[in-house]
Amino acid sequence: MRIGALVLKRKSWEPAAFASPSLALIAIVIVFPLAYSFWLSFRNFDLAVGPDSEFVGVANYVEALVKDTRFLNSIWNTAIIIGPSLVLELLVGLGIALLLTRIGRGRPIITALLAIPAMVSPVMAAMTWRMMFGVKYGAINNLGRQLGVIDVYFDWFSSPLISIVAIVMVEVWHNTAFMTLVLLAGLQSIPQELYDAGKADGADGWRSFWYITLPLLKFTMVVGLMIRLIDLTKLFGLIFVLTFGGPGGATETVAFSTYLAGFNDFRMSYAAALSYVIVGGVLILTLVFMWIQRYREMRAA
Amino acid sequence: MAIALDLPRAKSRSARVLRVRRGVGVALTWATLIAALIFFLGPFFWIVTTSVKGNEDYFAYPPVWLPADASLKHYAGLFTRSSGARYFTNSLVVSTLSMLAALLVSLPTAYSIARWRFGGGFLSLVLLVLRMLPAIALIIPLYIMYKQLGLTNSYLGLVIVYTVLYVPFAVWLLVGFLRDFPVEIEEAALIDGCSRLRALVSVVVPIIAPGLAVVALFSFIATWNEFLFAIVLTGIETKTMMVLVTSFTSGGTDMFYGEASASVVLGVLPAFVVAFVLQRYLVKGLALGGTKG
Repeated sequence: MRIGALVLKRKSWEPAAFASPSLALIAIVIVFPLAYSFWLSFRNFDLAVGPDSEFVGVANYVEALVKDTRFLNSIWNTAIIIGPSLVLELLVGLGIALLLTRIGRGRPIITALLAIPAMVSPVMAAMTWRMMFGVKYGAINNLGRQLGVIDVYFDWFSSPLISIVAIVMVEVWHNTAFMTLVLLAGLQSIPQELYDAGKADGADGWRSFWYITLPLLKFTMVVGLMIRLIDLTKLFGLIFVLTFGGPGGATETVAFSTYLAGFNDFRMSYAAALSYVIVGGVLILTLVFMWIQRYREMRAA
Repeated sequence: MAIALDLPRAKSRSARVLRVRRGVGVALTWATLIAALIFFLGPFFWIVTTSVKGNEDYFAYPPVWLPADASLKHYAGLFTRSSGARYFTNSLVVSTLSMLAALLVSLPTAYSIARWRFGGGFLSLVLLVLRMLPAIALIIPLYIMYKQLGLTNSYLGLVIVYTVLYVPFAVWLLVGFLRDFPVEIEEAALIDGCSRLRALVSVVVPIIAPGLAVVALFSFIATWNEFLFAIVLTGIETKTMMVLVTSFTSGGTDMFYGEASASVVLGVLPAFVVAFVLQRYLVKGLALGGTKG
């Protein structure tokens, strides 16, 4: 790319003027509200009580992290949804990506078909599955009965454990395609010569996968997992439709319980504090993840 | 002599074994891929057939997988009884307006970064922060602000949020397209006396139109799919399809299947279009949150 003299010569106000509309919008709609919310989190603003509020220091944060068992439980719930989802999405995504590299004709169309669930909104994904899980008219109970696997109309959301399993399954259905696409791109960027050289050295099948593919794919996997981890901490729409946090709050995630604090109980200040706890948590997770990565690389080197 | 005769036969046998093994491998690959397709697309197939079933089919046992007399009466019911027409229109209007506004705002910014390297590092920072920021952290202060400004339950309020949320991603994609654009064509226009803005609008835009279309489609689907801001900031007149769908869940696990499934089918339609049209850009789009809003 060549940048001509004329393009570089410019009126000095132009770059800032061209960028100003979006900068102004970001300042007003994102930066200011976040600052306002941070200020709010140290007060006791409650829409159910009235428009007045006063400074309460870190009381909201103390309540969130010490007293509020509902929120603390939601952290645990989020964690036990995230863990299995990440593992399954990585394994299934890698499996499908590897299979896709082995077919020639038809790869683009099959990739596009497999990608469709990831383009659908979480609400629509959850609604589809909620209807599939339906007790009397759902596809799963009907198919199970027809095949003789189950003999009663089963309520899939009656116990906490099965509810979590169902959420993880829908989550895997919804977002494995992202992993597949990322890993497929990673696999395709590994030069074929490496495999040829490996073959000459007697490595084929599992060995070439273990010693060539995996090490070279590691960075792509880490990036993919990182993105999914951050997204999973925001899990909201899926829960809202699939279980609405039930049974008995067993599937409330952090985003969902913050939503309830703000828009069910109308404790705005408290919800603001909760949201900053989540932001802090995501930040810590990201840093820990990066730190582990760096540490392992250092040890490997 | 015997050895010399034997060798080629042994070789051809091992070649045959290899060929058979490869054939089995190909068959297994395809079998697994087809199983994956059934798992990932089966629910869509079921929801579409459910939406065209007659009411009596829901109660039938053995279950009706393929309705004999498919009809669109649930769609008609959705549009008349459940005000589906209004919410579908709301989704279309909000998504289209946000898409246009996002393009309008981000194109000059992208130009400024691509040509003059204006604050490129700042953009990546904003993009990263936005990607990590939970939407729930933004909705609480925005709701209070919107309440005071009277922006809740309005198209304008939703369009503003969606536009801003989408701008960093749009700018980032557009910078890429603009950097690929041959500067010489622009220089020619500038020499002919065009102003910078004029050159951007009448010379650059027509040529990078395909890139603009990619950004536009991603922005459309992101807005279409968004739920949290939609459910908090909309009222009875401005609900979107995502909010409408959740209203069917109030009937417990056995809800009214006909209209519920019809609304899901309409809600996922744009996703099908995008998955095929934007195939090359899906990784970028999904990685940067281009589809979730």
